[in-house]
Amino acid sequence: MKVNGNLVHPVDQAQRLLTFLRDDLALTGAKEGCGMGECGACTVLVDGRAVCSCLILVGQVDRADVVTAEGLSGSGYAALQEAFAANHASQCGYCTPGMVVSAAGLLHRVADPDDEAVREALAGNLCRCTGYASIVKAVQEAARRVPGREGAS
Amino acid sequence: MTEFLTARTCSELRELAPTGQLLAGGTDLLVQMRSGRVVRRLIDISNLQDGPPAVEREDGRVRISALASLTTVVHELAGALPGLAASVRLFGSEQIRNRATIGGNLANASPAADTLPPLAAAGAMATLNGSAGTRVLPVADLALGPGRTALRTGEWIETIDLPLPAGDEGFRKLGGRQAMAISVASLAWRWRCDDDGRLHDVALALGAVAPRVIRATDAEAELEGRLPVADVVDRAVGALGSQISPIDDVRASAWYRRAVAGALLREALVIRTPQRRSPGSAVEATWTSA
Repeated sequence: MKVNGNLVHPVDQAQRLLTFLRDDLALTGAKEGCGMGECGACTVLVDGRAVCSCLILVGQVDRADVVTAEGLSGSGYAALQEAFAANHASQCGYCTPGMVVSAAGLLHRVADPDDEAVREALAGNLCRCTGYASIVKAVQEAARRVPGREGAS
Repeated sequence: MTEFLTARTCSELRELAPTGQLLAGGTDLLVQMRSGRVVRRLIDISNLQDGPPAVEREDGRVRISALASLTTVVHELAGALPGLAASVRLFGSEQIRNRATIGGNLANASPAADTLPPLAAAGAMATLNGSAGTRVLPVADLALGPGRTALRTGEWIETIDLPLPAGDEGFRKLGGRQAMAISVASLAWRWRCDDDGRLHDVALALGAVAPRVIRATDAEAELEGRLPVADVVDRAVGALGSQISPIDDVRASAWYRRAVAGALLREALVIRTPQRRSPGSAVEATWTSA
């Protein structure tokens, strides 16, 4: 398995991916908000697709490419971080890594998502603080600024 | 501790399947295990390499691999199967759809499984494989009750096969919110409207109002060959009652589910047939189905 581009060799195939990331790799961006796939705080990308790492066992992704929030920084998604900050899309910050990863998964696929597309893509990420509007705005702003897209700096 | 094995080929799967619990997307199974369901051995089939292709089309029929993720189902079939696509779009969340498989939804046999009503309305057939070879069962007969299927030991669902709709099809569910909601009640329909507006080949399937998906054959009979005018609609809605058996649970009461099932059918007939379409009506504006 690759995590953020690095080959890793987990020992326990039945371990949850979330636990492996947090406890074995010290990648604590993904959080255990519910452990049941309902809140999205544990979201990571597996082969480019947003998934709940609490619902994946390590053995299931032993040949996959896993990207966590930590792995997004160098890949052109600074625009997402900046847009989140600029739009106050993060308050306590607990949902933020999952939100950003889900947004990245969306922006991989959709260049200019409208309001509804963003909300659908983030429907699996709960936030108790912001009321979501600032998050949706941040994602749409970042979409316009991702390198290679129209209007990007 | 749960043992974890992987079946990468169909022959490995045939050998391992009788010895443990199959794991594909795991989006409900792993939640059940967290809640206390004991599973001694998991056999991961999510990386099966020589399974059937995700989607195949031939002669007006579609064959879907049981291991196709829900995301793949909606990407490949949104145009061809709008009812199934609607049920998948409303299913869980992006994260769930990227892992959950259509076969898993059938094998898990929740009474509220959302892919079941559109598949049942389409008369879909499931091909099962196992040590005794293959056999074919109607998808509607796969679930025997909550969490119980007709699968024998060592048997797995290989593909789901269904005809393209000759006319219209759709799906609507009621749940606690717009996503990540287990259905309180759901309705899938297929019918063909002739030039006079009469309905033909009517199929109605309801979810979450019985231990398994229900084909509302009495209501179908009330509609077959008829114009969906007010008294016809009333009779069809009235005919639902004796064929559904909703329960009280944490999500809703039985009487509410009964009322909702009737309302889902009534609105589908009023809004989704040319005879009664009333564009701009308040009800139409609140629809979020396909």
